[in-house]
Amino acid sequence: MVKALVVGSSIPEIREALGAVASVEEKVVLAYGKAAEDGSLEQLGVKVYKLKSTHPDHIVAAVEKIFNELKPEIIIGWITKNNRAALSYFAGKHDLPMPTDVTSLKIQADGLVYTRGFLSERATAKEKVPFPAVVLINQKAFKPVETSGQSEVIEITPEGEIVKLLEVKEKALSGINLEEAEIIVGVGRGFKKKEDLELAFNLAELLGAQVGASRPIAADYKWLPEDAWIGISGKRVSPKLYIAIGISGAPQHMAGVMNSKIIVAINKDKTAPIFKQADYGVVADLYQFLPVLINKLKERKK
Amino acid sequence: MGDIVVLVKPALNPDMVRSKPDGTVDIDAIPLKLDDIDANALFEAQKLKQVLGGKIAAILVLTWGPADKRAKDLRMVAQEALARGADEAHIVADDSIIPGDPVTTASAVIATIKKAGLNPDIILVAEASIDQTTGQIAGRIAGKLGLPFISFARKLEVKDGKIVAERDLEEHIEVLEAPLPAVVSVTQEINEPRPPTLIQIRRAAKKPQNYYKVADLEGVATPVKQGLEYKILTVSRKQTIIEGDTLEEIAEKLISLLEQEGVIKL
Ligand SMILES: Cc1cc2nc3c(=O)[nH]c(=O)nc-3n(C[C@H](O)[C@H](O)[C@H](O)COP(=O)(O)OP(=O)(O)OC[C@H]3O[C@@H](n4cnc5c(N)ncnc54)[C@H](O)[C@@H]3O)c2cc1C
Ligand SMILES: Nc1ncnc2c1ncn2[C@@H]1O[C@H](COP(=O)(O)O)[C@@H](O)[C@H]1O
Repeated sequence: MVKALVVGSSIPEIREALGAVASVEEKVVLAYGKAAEDGSLEQLGVKVYKLKSTHPDHIVAAVEKIFNELKPEIIIGWITKNNRAALSYFAGKHDLPMPTDVTSLKIQADGLVYTRGFLSERATAKEKVPFPAVVLINQKAFKPVETSGQSEVIEITPEGEIVKLLEVKEKALSGINLEEAEIIVGVGRGFKKKEDLELAFNLAELLGAQVGASRPIAADYKWLPEDAWIGISGKRVSPKLYIAIGISGAPQHMAGVMNSKIIVAINKDKTAPIFKQADYGVVADLYQFLPVLINKLKERKK
Repeated sequence: MGDIVVLVKPALNPDMVRSKPDGTVDIDAIPLKLDDIDANALFEAQKLKQVLGGKIAAILVLTWGPADKRAKDLRMVAQEALARGADEAHIVADDSIIPGDPVTTASAVIATIKKAGLNPDIILVAEASIDQTTGQIAGRIAGKLGLPFISFARKLEVKDGKIVAERDLEEHIEVLEAPLPAVVSVTQEINEPRPPTLIQIRRAAKKPQNYYKVADLEGVATPVKQGLEYKILTVSRKQTIIEGDTLEEIAEKLISLLEQEGVIKL
């Protein structure tokens, strides 16, 4: 009989990971962080351990404890940073395989067959690992379980801290929901300074679009809040129209926009890789082309 | 005085993906390059060296084969790591652990640290690689060695035998402190690495590259992952470049194309 331990810090994560192992007979949950404070934990209908901490060292110790008691074949959760940190440490300690960014999963008697992104998502890999295995699944790749019922809830005391947490700083996030946007204007390093993004915002306003960005613009230069970050390590979007401006088309960026219906690229370098991954390309300096495009759209709107 | 160990992955270059006629990935035809964020880790190591002293040792484990066909690529990656500030390179190249998996790689790194007599104060690893993007080697090594682990470091400082780092999470940043030795995974934002200078490249040619076989090492795990199928993701985009005599003409054409596609409404 295969047993699974689901690890997560929010109820949607936990329900989705439970969905990914729906065929498994025995399932228990480790809910940490804000999931441990969530009242609906009581309605998951499975045995739940709760841990009121997000410290990876505490998560490792809690997983270790449950692992020793239950001996699960599968330890599974969303691909969040805390899951990645804690579960890679745990997997290393026990030399367990740990497929990550998993988009489909088949649980067999002797192991797991799964698919995942490969080569910065230019390809897919189908592989198999033996039990026990740690699995990190992509967000929204699996159908969440709806089941409910009374859960048995056991609290685990945080312990095992090696690294000391000195301070938590909040990030300025905008709260935009790029995942739902129908049109997205994406800005990249072709923009020379923050003020110049005004051009992209003007265009976006005329099209009823949201503004997203490549990683350097959002994470490194911080010209936009980080929830504008699109790509393999940021948001995955699926608009009807994606307009990439001053973006080179690195595979890690394009991984986030591959489900767009139409992709337009505006780039001054005609050899930029983005043109091979776009439906329509404009080879031009954005500083010259955007004002013209904006004017034309304004004329048309009148 | 301890060493600074930096992991450097000879990674398949995703910008040069090659496919076989049946649409599967032609892995053997894809060249290797020094993994992107490993350049950031090497750059950070140079800064840490000013405080910690010691030497910077790069460790490379070949995970794509066959080893003899990869020899030149591998030497080039090691040489680039040396040009980017490593003082010596330790390289594991053995067909028995190819294609590698993270269990094997982590054990090979640890075995190499022992074999080479390294005494790390800090082990720097990139948050994720460009070919596998599993982002788990750092955590594995910390877990196997029982060392403090700081992941996703966006900022790093070493003072009085302690490390203070800013850990980058989805919604906030944690400031953390750990004793040395420690394992740290770094993000791309930690610094902006400069390409090596001509002098650095020339000096690198004289720095040591030590090669190891699995038989030279102790405790290297055999790969458990079984590859079943590797398929190229084909994107069928129109790839139409919009031409015109003036930018006005191009803008007009673009607008009408997007209207025809039904993706904008004016
Ligand atoms: C593990 C890993 C994960 C990553 N995750 C992500 C991710 O999630 N998202 C992401 O975006 N990146 C990610 N990256 C980084 C990625 O590899 C690229 O470095 C990044 O996407 C490049 O951003 P860019 O296109 O804005 O900048 P660049 O690559 O510098 O491109 C700028 C482009 O602008 C053009 N340009 C310059 N001036 C003008 C002008 N005046 N007019 C028009 N065009 C102009 C240039 O020709 C160039 O093509 C990741 C990298 C790694 C290794
Ligand atoms: N074969 C390897 N040799 C050396 N370092 C590696 C190897 N594989 C992974 N690493 C290190 O771990 C990082 C993350 O890799 P990954 O877990 O594949 O995403 C890489 O960028 C390297 O710093």
